Amino acid sequence: MLGTHWHQLLLFFLWITPHLLLAAVAAIIGKRRLYFEFPCFFAFVLCEIAEFILLFSLRFVHSVTEEQYAYVFSVTLFLSLALGFGVIDEVSKDLFRESQFLKVAARRLLQCVAGLLLGIGALLAVYAPGNHSVKWHAGVFVVNRGAAMVQCGLLLSLLLLSRFLGLTWRRPAFGITLGLGILASVDLATAALRAEFTSDAAREFLNLLTTGTYLVCVLIWIAYLLVPDRRAVTPTVVHHDEVEVWNRELQHFLK
Amino acid sequence: MISPALIAAWVLVAIAFFALLILAYIAIRSRTRPVDLEKDVLAFRSLDIEAFRNLVDSAEEAFLRDNLPLKKFREIKRQRAWVALIYVREAGKAATALAKIGQAAQRSSDPKIAASGIQVTENAFRLRFQTIRTGLYLLTEILLPDLQSRSLPHLVNQYEQAAETLFRLGRFPSRPAGLARSKSA
Repeated sequence: MLGTHWHQLLLFFLWITPHLLLAAVAAIIGKRRLYFEFPCFFAFVLCEIAEFILLFSLRFVHSVTEEQYAYVFSVTLFLSLALGFGVIDEVSKDLFRESQFLKVAARRLLQCVAGLLLGIGALLAVYAPGNHSVKWHAGVFVVNRGAAMVQCGLLLSLLLLSRFLGLTWRRPAFGITLGLGILASVDLATAALRAEFTSDAAREFLNLLTTGTYLVCVLIWIAYLLVPDRRAVTPTVVHHDEVEVWNRELQHFLK
Repeated sequence: MISPALIAAWVLVAIAFFALLILAYIAIRSRTRPVDLEKDVLAFRSLDIEAFRNLVDSAEEAFLRDNLPLKKFREIKRQRAWVALIYVREAGKAATALAKIGQAAQRSSDPKIAASGIQVTENAFRLRFQTIRTGLYLLTEILLPDLQSRSLPHLVNQYEQAAETLFRLGRFPSRPAGLARSKSA
């Protein structure tokens, strides 16, 4: 009895706290006027808060059946996934903002990665569709699993590509990408497990894992949104002539 | 008997865990370190382009093909491609370093430096992508040594000019060892 009580308390804490902190994220975005640069992320944050209020309220309305709750949950899940893809597009645009070449080449590369991941996701949905015994719920988690895989792959590609090319991230974009990447990774694992393990104990454990990760991600977003961008480390010994020479060398090299 | 769906689930969990490790690594490594200008410029200048030219020269390859037994030729071609691949990797690293310097220069208060920084960055990105293409081409040679090679004239000819001009820039008192002319692969 005590165990169940403790578990319920922890679950509520991990469910409520991240959404309260998301309100703080929205406030920071508003105060720093970052909604001009990251409108999709701002919409994502507001949507997550609204979804929480809706689902939390439904949880305590006795006339709402579990089936109805699950339908609403699925709709909010798909909305969040769609906005997640919007956020990925937004941070990739921000990352490649200073290079005309990358706007074309790197984005084309990312589109190829997305196509490949979608193909793998579709194949997985066909050949490993999850537990058939629990109606459409498992189907929702299979779709979530595929979407999480694509998101996770895209975000990782973005981070690895930036390291590979020596691209400089701006702090908010990096924080958003990192947080969303962690969320997508854990979502991928939990959605894969949810599609297979449908017992109450497994579901409760996965709920705790998901909400706990969500709290960590929101804290990451707050940390990266609050700290101002570092001043770029400008090599003081660089002279204009020297930069010009490098440029000529690179141009020769590329001919 | 374990079902394929269960195996797929655990494979996805492993992938997710691996992704988390990469994310943690990137987050830790993302702390900005000061740009080591001298080291990066030295790395760019020190590639021995003449040796690289020999390694990917199609005439030299034809000579080896005509004068060596097939088995020996394959072995040597693979070795040459491996070494060339190391050169390409180093050129790629140098391009990444230049891209970082170019981005730093873009933020300069001097508009001339900022404008040049943009161009350096663009060209460094192009070079980085070109090294990927060349790397893939060399990997194909390693896997399929019997394929007739095409030489890589642009990469080779222009790199030599680049290195020479950088040498003439004279930030370093002596000629970097890598620029020494060498005909040995």
